[in-house]
Formats: sequence, structure tokens, C-alpha cells
Amino acid sequence: MTERDDRSSQVAVNLPELLIRVDNDRDLLRELIEIFKEEFPRLLQQLQRHIVRGDMKSVENTCHGLKGMLSGLSAMRAAAVAARLEQMGRDGNSSGLKDAVALLEREVERVLPELDASITKAEC
Amino acid sequence: MKILIADDDKISRRLLEKTLEREGYEVIAVDNGRLALEQLSLPDGPRLALLDWMMPELNGPSVCLEVRKLHERPYVHIVLLTSRGSKQDVVAGLESGADDYLTKPWDPGELTARLLVGQRILQLEDRLVEARETMRFKATHDPLTSLFNRGVILDLLARELSRTRRENGCTVVMLGDLDHFKDVNDGYGHVVGDEVLREIAQRLLGSVRSYDFVGRYGGEEFLIVLNNCDPEHAVLRAEEVRNGIAHYPVQTARGPIHVTMSLGVLASRGWDLDFVEEILGVTDSALYRAKADGRNCVKLATPTVLSDVPHN
Repeated sequence: MTERDDRSSQVAVNLPELLIRVDNDRDLLRELIEIFKEEFPRLLQQLQRHIVRGDMKSVENTCHGLKGMLSGLSAMRAAAVAARLEQMGRDGNSSGLKDAVALLEREVERVLPELDASITKAEC
Repeated sequence: MKILIADDDKISRRLLEKTLEREGYEVIAVDNGRLALEQLSLPDGPRLALLDWMMPELNGPSVCLEVRKLHERPYVHIVLLTSRGSKQDVVAGLESGADDYLTKPWDPGELTARLLVGQRILQLEDRLVEARETMRFKATHDPLTSLFNRGVILDLLARELSRTRRENGCTVVMLGDLDHFKDVNDGYGHVVGDEVLREIAQRLLGSVRSYDFVGRYGGEEFLIVLNNCDPEHAVLRAEEVRNGIAHYPVQTARGPIHVTMSLGVLASRGWDLDFVEEILGVTDSALYRAKADGRNCVKLATPTVLSDVPHN
């Protein structure tokens, strides 16, 4: 099994955990997803600007925010990638940074449909 | 109960806000450390706070450090929220003045349980402060009238005299004694006598400004200290005090009782007296003259009368 196959076999969002966190509140879940859809592209653009400028401290801070946001939505795999990026920023390690950002984008692409589907699963 | 949430991550902030509102908290949410410190510095600001570690402008531990410098504010129970889980980070957070910490992503049950611990600690602190204040009041006030006790009113007099001397101002001292109070105690009993003393205390407080001092000097003797008072007004102010007592009778369980007060008054400017004992001695002589002059009147101590003061 390839790494890609292995990843695709796992869920991107830990839905039971997320539903507990929002107390099965469908409106709240919808609101959080909307915030994520607005915030993620903005933070991603910000991150890319920091990478171009080589501003590793800002890379660390932005990825810290991304990690918090993703873990708040129980998107643990994507949060783990953001955590890796945060560590690279902290270490000032720019090698492999672009690949890690691309991986983050792919993970988030898997997160979004699962989040949308989760709304219908929330009970109230 | 008010609670502050400080987190720059919109999702965390909204989740916390909603979770805590469900638990009945009155939530104030801000997105940076500076705003958090502003809220926590307000006199009636929240006493429970959930602070994210990494925030713009001021991070969570820095907010903790600043809040702990606010000695006038009641204690704030601070929980740091962090995705940093290393022992070193936890120690640094607690050393900055945080009371507790939670690791992101938090479990809602654990979050509310830890906040309940915070509430218990705050309630305990409130009870301790209340007990301390009760003890402080008992140590400084007369138990019957709730006026300052003798020791405190004399200290306050000494402090005011020293201040007005420094500032070339004037303190007005009044020594008042209820006339024929023994007759009240003998005729109506001590319980009614106590009722009269309590009512007189209230009238004295009502006759002076909020920043003046009134104390019970002895059995039916009261000492009043008027801060920064124009010496020209000393007698007028004393007449107001006297009238406040003589004007209408005290209502007691045994019916209305008419009481009056004689007062000796001294305005400190113009006197070259350094000690409280000397000031009181002269004021007491003026009170003695008021008694000798038929009672229910005011006599001003003037420097020319100084020679009349008996010396031991």
C-alpha cells in the first residue's frame, strides 16, 4: 500500500470528537465551518508570503494559528502537518517547507467535504 | 459569573464562547493579549480568564505577569490554553502567574470541571477577604455605635493634624458630650441608653462630610475631626452638629427621649500645639466651659483661653 493509499483510507476529521465539542449543535458547526472557509485561504496566503520573504518567525506564528484552527475542528491529520510546519518555522528550517505546505493544502482539501457532511450528522 | 476568553483563533474563540455560555457564564471574548489585560484591569472585570498562550501584542504568560501586579484588584483565576505540552512550557506558564492550564484541543468536560475548580478557589478567596474585613472592622470600630473606636480616632486626628501642619491648612476638632446622659441610663435603663447612643452616632455621621471622621471617645463622648476645614466655619459646623441632636427627640422602645450635646471646638490653625494630647486638653476645656454655661451649646477654644487650661 502506498503512502497516498494509506492516507486516503483514514478519515480527515474525527467526527465523533467534533460533535462532542460542539455539543451536537448544527448551527454552531455550520458557523465554525464558515469561519474556517474564510480564514484558511487568508492564513495560507499569509504563510506563502512569509515563506517568500524567508520570515521564519512569522511562518511559525501563522502555522501555530492554522494548527489551532484545524485541531479545533478535529482535523487531526491536517493539524499534524501544520504542527510540523510550525516546528520548521521555529527551527528556521526552510528546506522542504514548500512540500509541507502542499501536503497541508491536500489534507485540507480532504477536510472540507467531511466537514460539510458532518453538518447533516449533527442531531440538532 | 463573568469569564474572559482571549484567543486570536476565531474558531477556538467561538467554540469556547458557545460552550461557556451554555454553562451559564457571561462571556467576554477578545482576540489579543492587550485587550485581555484591559478587561482584567477593570474594577468590575472578570475574575475567571482563559488565555491562549500565543496571542498578538501580548502573549498569555505576559498577561498573567501584568495581572499579578494589580494588587488592588480581587484575585483573577487564570487558565492558560496551550498547544504547547512540554513540562518546560507548563512550568513557565505557571511561574508567570497562571493557576492552571489546558492543552488544545480541550475536552469540553475537562474545561468546565477546571473552571468549577477556579470558581471554588475564588469563593474561598471571597470568604477569606470577607473574614479579614470583618476582623479589620471589629478592630477599628466601636461595637455599639460602629463609629471609629478611641484608638483609631486619635490616630486619625494625629495624622490629620500633621498633614494640615505640613500643608498650612486647618483641622477642626470637636469634642461633644451628651448632656445628663446618666439620667437616660438611670431613668430608662442601659438598653434604651444604648439605643440613644446608636442614634446619636448616626446623626453625627449625617452632620459631617463623607471624608470627615467621627469616633466614640468615651461613654457618651464623641470626637469629630473635620479635615481641611475653614477655621471661620468651625463654630457654624459645630452648631449644625448640636442642632442635629437637639432638634428632634430620639425614638426609643420607651418612647421619644430628648437629648442635647455640649461641644468644645478647636480650629488647629493659629495654635502652636504639637501633640494630640495638648489639642485634646484645650478642646476639653472648651467643652467644660460649654457645660458650665448651661449645656446644649458650643464653645470655641481660642488661644487667649489657653492660659485657663489647667496644667498638671
